[in-house]
Amino acid sequence: MKTVATFVVNGHPHEIAVEPHQLLIEVLRDHLGLTGTKHSCGVGNCGACTVLVDGIPKLACLTVAREVRDKPILTIEGLAKDGVLHPLQQAFVDYGAIQCGYCTPGMILTAKALLDGNPDPTEHEVREALAGNICRCTGYVKIVEAVLAAAEVMRKGGN
Amino acid sequence: MFRLLRPFEYLEPGSVSEAVEMLTRHGERARIFAGGTDLVISMKKRQIVPDYLIAIGHLSELDFLEAEPDGTLRMGPLVTHARIAASPLVRQRFPMLATACNEVGTPQVRNMGTIGGNLCKAGPSQDTPPVLVSLEAKLHLVGPRGTRTVPMDQFCTGPFCTVLAQDELVVEIEIPPLPPRSAGCYKWITKITATDETLAGAGVVVVLKEDGSFEDVRIGLGSVAPMAIRARKAEALLRGTWPEAAQIAEAAQIASEEAEPRSRAAYRRHMVKVLVNEGVTEMHRQVAASMQEAAQ
Repeated sequence: MKTVATFVVNGHPHEIAVEPHQLLIEVLRDHLGLTGTKHSCGVGNCGACTVLVDGIPKLACLTVAREVRDKPILTIEGLAKDGVLHPLQQAFVDYGAIQCGYCTPGMILTAKALLDGNPDPTEHEVREALAGNICRCTGYVKIVEAVLAAAEVMRKGGN
Repeated sequence: MFRLLRPFEYLEPGSVSEAVEMLTRHGERARIFAGGTDLVISMKKRQIVPDYLIAIGHLSELDFLEAEPDGTLRMGPLVTHARIAASPLVRQRFPMLATACNEVGTPQVRNMGTIGGNLCKAGPSQDTPPVLVSLEAKLHLVGPRGTRTVPMDQFCTGPFCTVLAQDELVVEIEIPPLPPRSAGCYKWITKITATDETLAGAGVVVVLKEDGSFEDVRIGLGSVAPMAIRARKAEALLRGTWPEAAQIAEAAQIASEEAEPRSRAAYRRHMVKVLVNEGVTEMHRQVAASMQEAAQ
């Protein structure tokens, strides 16, 4: 039975009628058209569907939508402010940390959660934090460089 | 595998007793649902197709992590692996449990998956059971016939099998305090990369007497038997003896013989020997060093 629930995505509340069996990724992609969140492995191995729920990286493909009603959800679309990229997004562009781009939204959101809690991480801490986000293109070196560069920008007050 | 779920009815009990009522009423057609990192995958694979999900994620009476004055740690089943791994209380009193919880899955899985769900899954290669077995943890279960307490080493009965009845719920994980002059660690090796399944794991607790001999040694083994087991013969060999390298190596050898690995048996046995030897040796050194420090 469909029930109407409120999903607070990127700061905006949306009243959406959802079935009990619908996953968060269906709400984001199919109901809200937020296709930045990628549906990849479907079993929690790859991290491509990572979004932040209450600031914590979670997998939209394994989350039953109803479980996160009324909670703040951040997707990649909510990161840029007034057309200006978030320092992490800008660093991923500047450092060539994107190739096919499929893992990028999940990578950036996981990295954001890390930097929100730890503004000055070591390379090891970055690698540990990103251990649940798989990239098949880059070999991770540029991704880690980009996160460390973004951390520096953010410490200096950029965003 | 399917990417979406089959329809089910989503039930939200207001309390543990209501959850038990729902389990009793719906029987095999219902499943308890919390973190979802395991159940949702099984449902996508159509291995489990429940008509009802009993969602307990919002029950605050199952979401606690606290220490008693005597040092006993009590955890609700809803506590996530990430929360246990980061908890100052756990890191200070039972660092081996924080280590094991940090080895579960990926960061995202640790943010979602709960300790209760992990234990009820009863996968033979999980990281927390060997640690909880060596810590002599107890699980508190609630069902329509009341409550009961099951020691961790009697909770699992085989791969993915537990003593939990269909209408019962785990409501607490209790870890007794470690005695004075003790230390514990979790040693493990994964199959290939750091996020892979564990190939062999050992939870080791060492307790020394005031004279420096072994008062107690507890060894929990994971991934090398149908469920986490205690290496009781190895423990018995060390109990009451003076810590000596040859004796510890002998006990590690016996522990590896107590393991019953199914695949890659020789390698897993070898690694049990290595991990137990390292664990006991290091924990002995650690306790001995802190005793020496205290004496000065």
